[in-house]
Amino acid sequence: MNIINVHQLHKQFKVSKHRRGMWGAVRNLVSQDYQLVEAVDHIDFQIGPGELVGYLGPNGAGKSTTIKMLAGLLVPTGGILEVNGRVPWRERQAHVAEIGAVFGQRTTLWWDLPVIESLALLKHIYKIPEARFQHNLAEFTDMLALAPFLNTPVRSLSLGQRMRADICAALLHEPKILFLDEPTIGLDVVAKERIRQFIKQVNQARGVTVILTTHDLQDVEKLCERVMIIDRGRLLFDGQLKSLRDRFGGRREMIVDFTESYPDVAVEGAQLIAHDGVRATYQFERDELTASTLIGRISSRYRIRDLTVRETEIEETIRRIYEKGLLES
Amino acid sequence: MRLFFELTKQSIRRHLTYRAATLAGLVTNFVFGLMRVAVLVALYGEAQEVEGITVSGIITYACLSQAVIAYLSMFGWYELMNSVYTGEVAADLLKPMNYFSYWMAQDLGRAIVNLLLRGVLLMVLFSFMFELDTPQTAIQWLALPMAIILGWLLSFSWRFLINLAAFWTPNAVGFGRFGFVLSWFFSGFLMPLRLFPDWTVDLANLTPFPHMLNTVVELYIGVLSGAALAQALLMQLLWVLGLILLGQLLMKAAVRRLVILGG
Repeated sequence: MNIINVHQLHKQFKVSKHRRGMWGAVRNLVSQDYQLVEAVDHIDFQIGPGELVGYLGPNGAGKSTTIKMLAGLLVPTGGILEVNGRVPWRERQAHVAEIGAVFGQRTTLWWDLPVIESLALLKHIYKIPEARFQHNLAEFTDMLALAPFLNTPVRSLSLGQRMRADICAALLHEPKILFLDEPTIGLDVVAKERIRQFIKQVNQARGVTVILTTHDLQDVEKLCERVMIIDRGRLLFDGQLKSLRDRFGGRREMIVDFTESYPDVAVEGAQLIAHDGVRATYQFERDELTASTLIGRISSRYRIRDLTVRETEIEETIRRIYEKGLLES
Repeated sequence: MRLFFELTKQSIRRHLTYRAATLAGLVTNFVFGLMRVAVLVALYGEAQEVEGITVSGIITYACLSQAVIAYLSMFGWYELMNSVYTGEVAADLLKPMNYFSYWMAQDLGRAIVNLLLRGVLLMVLFSFMFELDTPQTAIQWLALPMAIILGWLLSFSWRFLINLAAFWTPNAVGFGRFGFVLSWFFSGFLMPLRLFPDWTVDLANLTPFPHMLNTVVELYIGVLSGAALAQALLMQLLWVLGLILLGQLLMKAAVRRLVILGG
């Protein structure tokens, strides 16, 4: 039984086209030309309960639009969209009572209230029984280290503190699904790590289904088994992170330190991408060449002191997918 | 219901912290009140009474219409509109609550603080300066709080409706101003409605605006009593129900139309 069911979902935006120049401006007053932009272009996917899915794509790809439709904030132009067995925008209040959402760019808390009072208001909004509320609050306060700033107004929190407070707020009512739209944006390494730990724990211990959009691929590597990649409104990839790496992360790197500096260290089958003094970096295709063959070729000509082989980072893989449209066939 | 109460309480606390703004508003309303009294008394000249309103009646009217500025937000209220343009509306719609009563609870908090700190206080200040009329009968005294509450409900529903325009156009402030000017004129905020020609009064009575302010004023200065009083309160109530219903319907349409700008 899927908790999210999306079939041929699409969303069009009307963008007004402004004519240029003075005469154009006058004509704009009378009639405006619209251009239809397909923000989400007929996508399909299913998500089962308890999954933790990374939803990736460059800016303007349609990630946020999808999340907003799933959260019931945007009405789709067409297609099927079911979350928790409901059509989100048709039964907004019932729907939002069972989801949690964090939009990294803005807060859902009240700007001028202390954190604890914002959370207390949420208790009334979601009608959380007092005992459950206290229990969850204590647990999240501990896990997210909220105690030092519970009495601080939201507007005076640092970004990392605000994000933790927001994540706590999104989970107090024990939603079945959590939407996280760039939850680690602008945070330092420590704060990011703490939030990742928490997301993982909530997903595993409480079985909350998590859909996460991010530009930080560390988030993806550390959290998600499954990734979906969207670009220009179209779903380019939906599958295991591992298979993404296998399919498109075919290039590996070998960094070699020689015992002395050679003027030319090129070998066949591998591309020399850097050469500086005694150190050289080669790139080679996994399918074409094994690491041991390459080592053999190099060592037959030059004396090697040390070497490391590096798998391509997921970041590199995804950048290649965006840039070259590798998935478009 | 509990949520409504909590939201109102938070809003009261928030508005109580705006001390400087409250004081500045109080002084401004007071000074302009003195000027309006001076102008109206000069216009009356030798006349003792015009259209049933005595000189002390017109002075009381001027003071009252200054006292209601704050709690009825006569000079405009664009909070909801702004929340749509900044995108904060998304956070509100992500919560399982009625959007209309959410805003109403917060506006109630704002209205209570302003009614007491800028309304009642202002009338006390004015009463040191002038001989003011007060309601004459017990019934009028009883009807007064009712008329004030209904007047606020009407004002809120109207402001809510105006602000909903933000869901349809990228800049609804102009539309909002038009709505507020309309309410100044027909609510009797600029001049008591009785002093206008009959056709203007008839036209005004087709709108909800007289019930925001004019009813309260006429009740206070004692020209409204008996059957006319009962009828005025009933009309107030009907308009309140009508506008709330309209607000709920338009809100549903607005939410459906919603397209959140940006990101």
